Amino acid sequence: MIGDSPDPALAGSGGRTGERPRQRPLPGVAPGSRRGEGWNVVETTEVRTSGPEPPPGEGEPTPPDERAGRSPRRLVALAIGAAAAVILFPLAFAYLRDPDANRVGVVALAIVVGVGGVFLLFWVLNRTVDFLPARFRETIRPYVFVGPALVLLLVFLVYPVFNTIFISLRNSSSTEFVGLDNYRFVFTDSGMLRSIRNTAGWLVLVPIVAVSTGLAFAVMADRLIRGEAVAKSLIFLPLAISFAGASITWQLIYSYRPQGFGSNVGLLNGIVLGLGQDPVRWLELQPWNNLFLMVIMVWMQTGFAMVVLSAAIKSIPDEIIEAARIDGASELQVFWRIIVPTIIPTIVVVTTYMIINSMKVFDIVFVQPANAEANGTVVMAERMIRWFFQLNHNGRGAAVAVVLFIAVIPVMIWNMRRFREEEAIR
Amino acid sequence: MRRTRMALAALMALFLIGAACTTDEGGDGGDGGGGGVNQEENTGTVNVLNAMEPHEAEAVQAAVDENIGDVDYTVEIEASADFEEQFPIRAEGGTLDVALVPQPGTVAAEAEAGTIVSLEDMGIDVGQLEETVGEYLMSLVEFEGEHWGVPTNVNLKSMIWYPKDDFDAAGYTVPETYDDLIALSDQIVEDGGTPWCVGFESGSATGWPATDWMEDIMLRTAGPDVYDQWVAHEIPFNDPAVVTAAETFGEVMFTDGYVLGGAADTPSIAFGAAPLPMFDDPPKCWLHRQASFIIGAAPFPEDAESGVDYDWFPFPPIDQEGTLLAGEFAVVGTNGNRPEVTDFLEKFLSEPVQCAQGGDPLSSRVSPNLEVGPDCYANEILADSAAVLTEALANGTGRFDASDLMPGEVGAGSFWTGMVRYMQQGPDSVQGVLDDIEASWPA
Repeated sequence: MIGDSPDPALAGSGGRTGERPRQRPLPGVAPGSRRGEGWNVVETTEVRTSGPEPPPGEGEPTPPDERAGRSPRRLVALAIGAAAAVILFPLAFAYLRDPDANRVGVVALAIVVGVGGVFLLFWVLNRTVDFLPARFRETIRPYVFVGPALVLLLVFLVYPVFNTIFISLRNSSSTEFVGLDNYRFVFTDSGMLRSIRNTAGWLVLVPIVAVSTGLAFAVMADRLIRGEAVAKSLIFLPLAISFAGASITWQLIYSYRPQGFGSNVGLLNGIVLGLGQDPVRWLELQPWNNLFLMVIMVWMQTGFAMVVLSAAIKSIPDEIIEAARIDGASELQVFWRIIVPTIIPTIVVVTTYMIINSMKVFDIVFVQPANAEANGTVVMAERMIRWFFQLNHNGRGAAVAVVLFIAVIPVMIWNMRRFREEEAIR
Repeated sequence: MRRTRMALAALMALFLIGAACTTDEGGDGGDGGGGGVNQEENTGTVNVLNAMEPHEAEAVQAAVDENIGDVDYTVEIEASADFEEQFPIRAEGGTLDVALVPQPGTVAAEAEAGTIVSLEDMGIDVGQLEETVGEYLMSLVEFEGEHWGVPTNVNLKSMIWYPKDDFDAAGYTVPETYDDLIALSDQIVEDGGTPWCVGFESGSATGWPATDWMEDIMLRTAGPDVYDQWVAHEIPFNDPAVVTAAETFGEVMFTDGYVLGGAADTPSIAFGAAPLPMFDDPPKCWLHRQASFIIGAAPFPEDAESGVDYDWFPFPPIDQEGTLLAGEFAVVGTNGNRPEVTDFLEKFLSEPVQCAQGGDPLSSRVSPNLEVGPDCYANEILADSAAVLTEALANGTGRFDASDLMPGEVGAGSFWTGMVRYMQQGPDSVQGVLDDIEASWPA
């Protein structure tokens, strides 16, 4: 019936009044109070007009006189809203840019401008679509709604990828084309090779250790009669700390002070001294210092693996496990033949997450009070930041980024394939 | 009716896009100047981006405001904690007025990219400047026949600190030559003490204080001319002259009992914490080589009194004389090509403004202006270091920190790393370490 409406522009308003006829029987409403209904318009109109036959009886047709009286006011309201936006947005941005502005005010305004701006954008776009001829309207509407997200994706994801590849083929200041020189550097420089080896170590060891200990904790915590929540919270807690914060915390464990510079406050050196040995420079102890740094990541990520895997374990029907036990399966058999196969999709997802996180690791290495290159603890993401931002060699930094980007693709493909298999089974 | 609505809708969309665009342009803070001969109009404000500590920036702001005289513009001294990232971003974005750049090495790159304006284009008399600050400093910012920065501040690196009261009580005397310095070190060891406090840890920049040591020694064993060749890579980094300097450095670091904790520990000792054992009673160490900033940036104990508890002497000559220094250069971005910026630069380097900057004891700013006299400085330490610097700049033996002049991958990369490895692996690693640094030099 809306499709038959003489004026297509009123389709939206018809839907809206249809949604809440009793709450808002009269048309003249101030623009501000009306905004909240923009979303309803979308849903109802979509349902209505996209279906081949509009469901009869749902929503009252708007009386003709009401439609006629509504349009000009709405247009005026829209125009006022647009004009206000044109004036207010620059003012808001001017305030946000003021370095002396009150920080709380800036945050509040940023939220208002951000959320309100996005809301306004969709509202205006949706309204604009309403003005289009009925034939195109519902074909275009989905693109209008997906559009901003697609544009953001293009601007902030696709464009940077191609720009990074472009920069990686150019010199330190991106002024000249140098072919594959930067890639040659990535695969010949001793520091870079070291970082590739170390990153490989990180992305093998960290996921294995974190996921297996996380799984062990999850299975064991599941058996706790009391205190499961407390035990889990304690293990989960480190995840709430930032990588840099955790690294600094762990400096208290690895701390080393030479003789003459105060007593050794580090936990490990405290133990070593207690055993009557000389204190050790843990962070310079090659190649073990890499393991010491990985421990920080494992400490942080085990909790995450545990929580996710624990949820998966809890979703295994008790009947299956009970049936296995009745059939005489040992606990180990239950674990390996029932629990693990059932939660393997979750294990894959968690492992993928860990692998990608290990590839990105940067802060843990960067924050250490030591020269990562001299101590052989360099990793690829750290090299990338260092070459790009500190040594101002755009080409090399970008080349490392591209290599990392390519290295992550197989992991993603593996993950996607698994996901598809799961879907196929369902 | 429908037409009107569609038109209105289109108009509205345009408004929104318009709003977005206006804010975007506002973000650029105005267009960049042409970078040409013609200067833009006076805007009434000169923004000076710099890497100072907040208190130092405040002191400089006050010195400028009080002494710049009657001018038709205001000066904003804007200290930025991430100056090294901000400077290229603003220069390339065309929003930079003036930046005080501590690494002259980066100036040439910006000049090549056309993001900064030469002094010649600004209408500044470089010949006059050379008379004011000496020719050496101006040669550091010369690129393709033009000059790209005005030296506005220098500080002394070749300083050896010692605990004066205990030092005098023990009967030690300030060494005049390098041999005296080694003899003093031996004497201290003989008396049961440890002569040197050394620490090279500085987070991800660990190793830089060691490069200062190397530079100080290189300048004195090879002399200023070879030093310049070393900086410009006219001699390789593993040249015999550099090996000699590294070995001389090693003699201090690796001699048994010379260094508190031993050389291998120095990369684990924070450079700011390194001098503190000197203030123990009795001193755990007696000598500490560090630049003048060490008083302000990584303070000595609060109750330590300059001239009583501690004092300094210049790093003594070895085979040659030289003085290691660092400093900053005022560089003009394309946005700063305006008459009031030219006027500001001349006034900023003038004697009254420079003299007032020396009055802040914590920031240890020494003027490159040779006319600024010792009375300008807040205390005797600053005045003495200013005297050493002024003399070195006037007679041409002053040399800028080499690692700030070398390409970033060496000066802020392999040089630091190499020195850390040298400390960790001992005297025999010297050749390998220098070979590695040489290999890292960009082609």
